[in-house]
Amino acid sequence: MATRAFQRLPTAPAGRILMLRLVAIILSLFIIACVLALSGHSPLMLAELIIHSTLGSRFGLEDLALFMCPLLLTGAAVTVCGTIGLWNIGAEGQFYAGAIAATGVALGVHGSALTVLPLMTIAGIVGGMAWITVPTLARAYAGVNEIITTLLLNFIASLLTYYLTTGPWRDRISGAQVSTQRISVSIPEMWGIVHWGFPVAIVIVIGLALVLSRTRWGYEIRIGGANPEAARYAGIPVRLRIISVMLLSGGLAGLAGMFEVAGTVHRLQGGMANNFGYLGIVVAVLARGSCLNVIPAALLMALILDSGIVMQTQQLSASVILAITGLILFMIAIGDELAHYRPLARTTPQGTAAGSKVS
Amino acid sequence: MNKPSNPNGRAPGTPPVLQLRGIGKFFPGVIANKDVDLDVWPGEIHALLGENGAGKSTLMNVVTGIYQPEEGEIILDGYGQTFTSPQEAIRAGIGMVHQHFKLVEAFTVAENIHLGWDEAPRIASPAVMEARTQEISERFGFPVRPDARVCDLSAGEQQRVEILRVLARKARLLIMDEPTAVLTPEETRELFRALRAFRAQGNAVIIISHKLDEVMEISDRVSILRGGRKIGTFNTADCNPSMLAATMVGRDIVRRDMRTRPEGAAPIAPEPIMQLRHVSVRDDRGVETLRDVSLDLHGGEILGIAGVAGNGQRELTHVLTGLMARTSGEILLDGALVDRADPALFAAAGVGHIPEDRLRSALAPSLSITANMALREYAQPPIGRHGLYDATAAGALAHDIAGLAQVNIPDFAMPIRNLSGGNQQRLVARREIRIASRVLVAAYPARGLDIGAIATMLGYLTDLRDQGVAVVFISEDLEDLLNVSDRIGVMFHGRLMSVIPAAGADIATIGMLMGGREPADIQAGAAQ
Repeated sequence: MATRAFQRLPTAPAGRILMLRLVAIILSLFIIACVLALSGHSPLMLAELIIHSTLGSRFGLEDLALFMCPLLLTGAAVTVCGTIGLWNIGAEGQFYAGAIAATGVALGVHGSALTVLPLMTIAGIVGGMAWITVPTLARAYAGVNEIITTLLLNFIASLLTYYLTTGPWRDRISGAQVSTQRISVSIPEMWGIVHWGFPVAIVIVIGLALVLSRTRWGYEIRIGGANPEAARYAGIPVRLRIISVMLLSGGLAGLAGMFEVAGTVHRLQGGMANNFGYLGIVVAVLARGSCLNVIPAALLMALILDSGIVMQTQQLSASVILAITGLILFMIAIGDELAHYRPLARTTPQGTAAGSKVS
Repeated sequence: MNKPSNPNGRAPGTPPVLQLRGIGKFFPGVIANKDVDLDVWPGEIHALLGENGAGKSTLMNVVTGIYQPEEGEIILDGYGQTFTSPQEAIRAGIGMVHQHFKLVEAFTVAENIHLGWDEAPRIASPAVMEARTQEISERFGFPVRPDARVCDLSAGEQQRVEILRVLARKARLLIMDEPTAVLTPEETRELFRALRAFRAQGNAVIIISHKLDEVMEISDRVSILRGGRKIGTFNTADCNPSMLAATMVGRDIVRRDMRTRPEGAAPIAPEPIMQLRHVSVRDDRGVETLRDVSLDLHGGEILGIAGVAGNGQRELTHVLTGLMARTSGEILLDGALVDRADPALFAAAGVGHIPEDRLRSALAPSLSITANMALREYAQPPIGRHGLYDATAAGALAHDIAGLAQVNIPDFAMPIRNLSGGNQQRLVARREIRIASRVLVAAYPARGLDIGAIATMLGYLTDLRDQGVAVVFISEDLEDLLNVSDRIGVMFHGRLMSVIPAAGADIATIGMLMGGREPADIQAGAAQ
C-alpha cells in the first residue's frame, strides 16, 4: 500500500513558518560560510566583523535604523496594495517622485525648517501619489494590469532624477556629480545619525495595521482583495477602494523618498533609491500580507544590506552580496512552502481517535 | 457483513470489478473514511448515498488515485492495486466524472477529448480529432458537437464531453459525482438511458447522489455512508425512498405541509414590498436575458420560481438584489422608484440574498469566518461605528450565526475555505436571513444539501414568511417549490411565463410552462 509520509495543510500555522524561516536563515548562513571558506576568507572573522558593525555596536545599530526607515515605508506600500489583491511594483519610481517633489520644495522655498519640512512632507506624499495616478486610473477604469504600468514608470522616474541632478538642479556650489546641492533643512536627528523619520515610519506601519484591521475602510479593502465578486455583492464600491489604496501606496513610497532626501542624504542624487522600492516587494513578501510583519521583515532586509556593505569593505564584490540575498530569500521561500507539510503518523488509530468529527 | 449479492447471475467465480477492504482516510482532526468495505460487480449501477460530509467524495477520490488511503486495500478484478495518481486509475479502467467539470473551456470538444490521452494521434489536425471524436461519440451514444468550444456548451453537453473523455480511455468502471445536479429532466433521462446501455455491456457505474428518486430509478444496489463509515449495502429493489432517507440521516424526516401558517403568523400583506414593472435586461452581447418581467412581492408570502436553470433566474435574482442594472422597466421598493442598481442600497432596505453560486460570490475564502459573517452588517452598529470596524462585535455576530446555523466551528479566525461546502452554505444562508427584514431572494438554497439540511432550509423560508417577509424561492425541485410556495412563477427564455397559485397547481402544467408552452395553449389543451 502506498503511503505518503507527509500531508499538505491548506494554511500553514504561523509558528511553523517562523521556525522554518529560522532554520532557512541558519542553513543559508552555513552555506555562505562554506563558500566563503572555500574562497579563502575566514567566515568566523567575517561573522564577527559583521555582528560588530551591525547589531553589536552603536554605529551599526544607527546604520540599521537608517536602512530600515525606507524599507518600512516601501514594504508597507506594497503590503497595503497587496491587501486589495494588487501589486505595486512601482514603489521605486514613487520613491523617486516623492524625493524629487520634496527636493523641489526645499530648493524653491526658503524658510525655517518648521515651515519647509511639512511642505516637503506633503510634496513627497503627493509626488508619490501623482506617480501612481495613471496606473491607478488605468487599473480602476480600464482593468489595465498595474504590475506592468507601475514597473515601467520606475525607469522614467529614475531617469528623470538623473536628468534633474545633472541638468537644471545640478550642484553648482560644490560641483558634486549627479547630485543637487545640499538642502538647507533636514529632519532632526533623535539618536546619533538616526532621524525622526525612523520612529515615524514605525508608527505609520503600526497605524496601517490598525487601519486595515479596525476600520470599515480596511475591512472593505480586505474583502475586495480576497474576493472582488463578494465585495460587489456586499455593495462595496470596489473601484473607489482600489483608487484609494493605490494612491495610499504611492504616497507611502513617496514619503520614503522624502525621508531619504530630508533625513539621510540631504540632497537629491541619481540612483539614490538604492533599490529600496524593489526591496519593498521583498519585504512585503516576507511579511506575508501583514503590516505588523513588515517591521521584522524590514529589519531582516536591513541586516542583509548592512552586512553587504561590511563585506564589500573586505574585498568581496557587490555581486556576492546580491547572491547572498538571493540565497537567503530562496531558502526562506522553501521554508515557507515546507511549513505547509506535516509528517503523518505511521500508525493512525491513536492519532485520529481524538478527532472523530467529519466536517 | 454484506455478502456480495449476485443480481445479474454472473458466472460463479467472477470477481467484482472493484473491491474495497477496510479503507481508512484521515485528515487532520477528521476521519473522512474508516473501515469501508465495498463490492462493485460488473453489470451493475451502484449508488453511493450519504449526507454532506459523509465521506462519499473522499472515498471516490481514494478509488481514483487522487488520495491515497491510510488503511485498507483496493482490489481490482481480484488483484490488489495502488494508485498514486488519477492517470494510473484511468489506465486500470476507473474513470470519474466530477461534479464540477474539469474541462478546458477555451478548447473545443475534440481537443478536450484528446487532451492527455496516450492514444491521441501524435500529429493531429482539428479535422482528424473531430472525426475521431464523432466516432467515439456515436460508439458510446453520447451526442456531442466535436468542433464546439466547451465554454459555449450547456452543462448537460459539458457533462457528455466529460463522460466521453472517460469512456474513450476504456473505462470499465465509471464514477459519477452528483451527475444530475446540473441537468434538465430531459437530459437526466438521456443520461440514464446511456448509463443503462453502458451497464448492459458488462461495465459498472458508481453514482453519488442525494436524490432518492433517482437512486431508486437508476441503481441496482445502493450503499449508504454516514460519518465516514458504510452503514450497509442494499438491493435497490428491496428499498423505498423513506427507508433510504432514514438510514442515510440516521433519524426520521418529518414531512409537513409547509404552506399552512401556524397560529399568529403574519398574513399576506395587501401592499407589495417590491414590484417589477416590465423589467428587461440585456447582457454584454446584447442578448435579452430577462424579458418584460412584471411581478409583485408581498410580505408574508413565498413566491416560488420554477424553471430549468439558465432561463433568466440569475438575472432576475440580480435585478431583485441590486447587483444588475435593468435595461428597461421600473423597480419599486415600497412604492418608490429605485433608480440605480446598488446592492448596498437593497441590503440596507432589508433585502437578503442567498446567491446561486454562494461559495464563489458571497464569501471571501481566504478570510476568517468572522470577517465573512460580518459581510452584511459591517457598516452598522455594533460592528461599524464612526468608520471603525469592531472585530469583537464581529466575532460575537459570527458566533450567533454559527449557533443558529448549527455549524460547529473550532476556530473563528481560520479561513472560511477550511469549512466543508455544506457548512459554508449554511452560514451564508443564516447571514442573509438575518438581514432579510423585508425580502429574501434565495436562489437554489437547497442545492448541494442533504435531505435533513434541505428540510431545515425550507423551514427557514417558512419562518421568514410567518414573520411577514417576502420570500422569493428559486429552485429546480418542483416538490420543494410546491411544498412551501404560495404562488409559483415559471421562467422560460428570460420570460416569466405565468404566476399561478401553488395550491391548485399541478406538476404537468408547470412542466409544460418550463418547456416553453404558452399558458393559453395549455388552457386550450385542457379545455378540449
